[in-house]
Amino acid sequence: MGTYEPILTKGIGELDLTEIEVYRKTGGYEQLRRAVREMEPDAIVDTVMKSNLRGRGGAGFPTGRKWSFLPKDGRPRYLVCNCDEAEPGTFKDRMLLEKTPHQVIEGIMVSAYAIRAARAFIYIRGEMLEGYEIFCRALGEARQAGLVGEKICGGEWGCELVVHRGAGAYICGEETGLLNSLEGKRGEPRLKPPFPATAGAYNMPTVVNNVETLAYVTQILARGAEWFAAIGPVKSPGPKIVSVSGHVRKPGNYEVPLGISIRELIYEVAGGFRDGRTFKAVQPGGGSSACLFEEHLDTPYDFDSIAAAGSMLGSGAVVVMDDTADMLECALVLQRFFAHESCGQCTPCREGTHWSEAMLERLLEGRGRKLDVDLLGTIGDKIAGHSLCALGDASVPFLQSVVKRFPEEFLRGAARLPGVPLLAAAAR
Amino acid sequence: MRTSFEELRAELQPEIDRIVAQYPQRRSALLPLVHLFQDRIGYAPPEVVDYVAETCGVTAAQCESVISFYTLFYRRPIGKYNLQVCRNLSCTLRGAKQVMERFRERLGIDHLQTTDDGLFSYEEVECLAACDRAPCMQVNLRFVYDLTPELVDEMIAAMRAGAYHVKPLAQTEPPPREVRGPAWPRAHRKSAGAVGVPNPDNASGVGDRDGSEAARRLRREGVAALAAPGRFADAQTIDAILAAPNDGAVMEGHG
Repeated sequence: MGTYEPILTKGIGELDLTEIEVYRKTGGYEQLRRAVREMEPDAIVDTVMKSNLRGRGGAGFPTGRKWSFLPKDGRPRYLVCNCDEAEPGTFKDRMLLEKTPHQVIEGIMVSAYAIRAARAFIYIRGEMLEGYEIFCRALGEARQAGLVGEKICGGEWGCELVVHRGAGAYICGEETGLLNSLEGKRGEPRLKPPFPATAGAYNMPTVVNNVETLAYVTQILARGAEWFAAIGPVKSPGPKIVSVSGHVRKPGNYEVPLGISIRELIYEVAGGFRDGRTFKAVQPGGGSSACLFEEHLDTPYDFDSIAAAGSMLGSGAVVVMDDTADMLECALVLQRFFAHESCGQCTPCREGTHWSEAMLERLLEGRGRKLDVDLLGTIGDKIAGHSLCALGDASVPFLQSVVKRFPEEFLRGAARLPGVPLLAAAAR
Repeated sequence: MRTSFEELRAELQPEIDRIVAQYPQRRSALLPLVHLFQDRIGYAPPEVVDYVAETCGVTAAQCESVISFYTLFYRRPIGKYNLQVCRNLSCTLRGAKQVMERFRERLGIDHLQTTDDGLFSYEEVECLAACDRAPCMQVNLRFVYDLTPELVDEMIAAMRAGAYHVKPLAQTEPPPREVRGPAWPRAHRKSAGAVGVPNPDNASGVGDRDGSEAARRLRREGVAALAAPGRFADAQTIDAILAAPNDGAVMEGHG
């Protein structure tokens, strides 16, 4: 296997990067000093724009463009770092938070300076208690060192960084759900437009960026936009932390250049399958992505190629399934997840996820109907595109891709006898 | 010694003021304030709802509505050990089903229930972002990795014997650095899989940080760091806070 230069993951496992002195010795906070003391904010935005950095949280939207949408009307702007990582199969942001909190802080502060934020927030998933504690401690150190707060790095610019802890809701990873949660409301997504860039937190222009995205901003500043843009495909460049899990020998976070093949990711980077097992399917972008199969193994792992293959790169969570995986069970697990996490505002999502789950449940118990299998293949068409946010859409691709590919695994549960109730009534 | 809600609030007042002041609007303090009280009391009783509502400038009903949206907020007491086992895909692929079955069998309770003695609450939760160490779970929000049915037996036995230690819950202010030993004697600890980046995340099981870090923290913070007040350290105080005893009934659902 090719060895790839670690960028954000550099030093993790070797150094205690939660210590500010250790982080500084690796060149940490140098970019924040340089930005604040030597650079114009717009120059940073230009650099990020030129690097072609695309958001690492799931949607893959170009970061520089997102920043450029902020209206220049003098209202206070906010930067929110999204650390509500909860996409099934994703565990990269938690690693960054726990292992290199200062890198996260520097990324936030550099970006806050670039967009001239009046205040920055980081929204940390409620379950990440350990990471929250580590981050708070690191933030205390950074504040003491004059890197957060007033007169940052001895310059004129100042910005507070507020830590906001979530309380258990996947939907708060959706940027407008997150903003509502930040404002002390239920984490229900908002109708868009207006987009956060014009009316976000407290109705002010707001940018919401993923942890990994902001961490790369610091590196782009340090190494130049050209360095970043030269790695991987032109429209989807850069290194990316990929969380590989499931039936592989070496599950873990791997920082690889975008554009390497899925085959290399599974067989070389993550060590291939255990116990002589063979490949069955892979979810390339977390629980919200459609499964890819053998014929897709040589697809380059980047935003556009994965999309062209019919799935999405999402948050970079690669969940690998070998020939022992029961697709009916997998589908139920994920559908139950979406039904549980649907905020309930939109009928297609709320009802669609729930009824798909009910059908999968009775199929798994051998009480289903053939009609259920047909319906599972098409019900998603009534959900996707018919709700406020992307959660409804996200509940569809995996289900449809596996029902289409492995119908027999679903039909095996379609032996319902007349008179048996259809609803399992397993309330949860 | 009994502590009233009023006394607790008075104790937390500086922290409450700090939290409220850090947001452009006071309503934003809602989640952090509920966390603050819940971390001390173990759940959010009506007094907390009323107080937080008033502080944030919303009605009690609005406050209840928000609290009920989030799965980590509890409106009724939960067990001393809150066991939250991941049921999502990566864990399922690596044996979560057997782990969950063992928990239900050994505890005699189902998803979202609490044992009569108030020792355990059990919940099957969604992806915890620790898929590289699947199957995984959290005990009072502290991770436990690489679960097996045997490990479940060990863990429950240690908890019943009072030999399982959970670090106190976080306060909003950075808690003091503290030393942690192994949470319970682990006979079956698997080593972390090697990973492509140099050892990205092989450090922590529950509380099993390596000795050097523990020593470092002890050096920095001194022994005083060991005496952090917490949720379980002063259980009697907490019990007495509102004289709202757990009626022992099985809890169905949250909220």
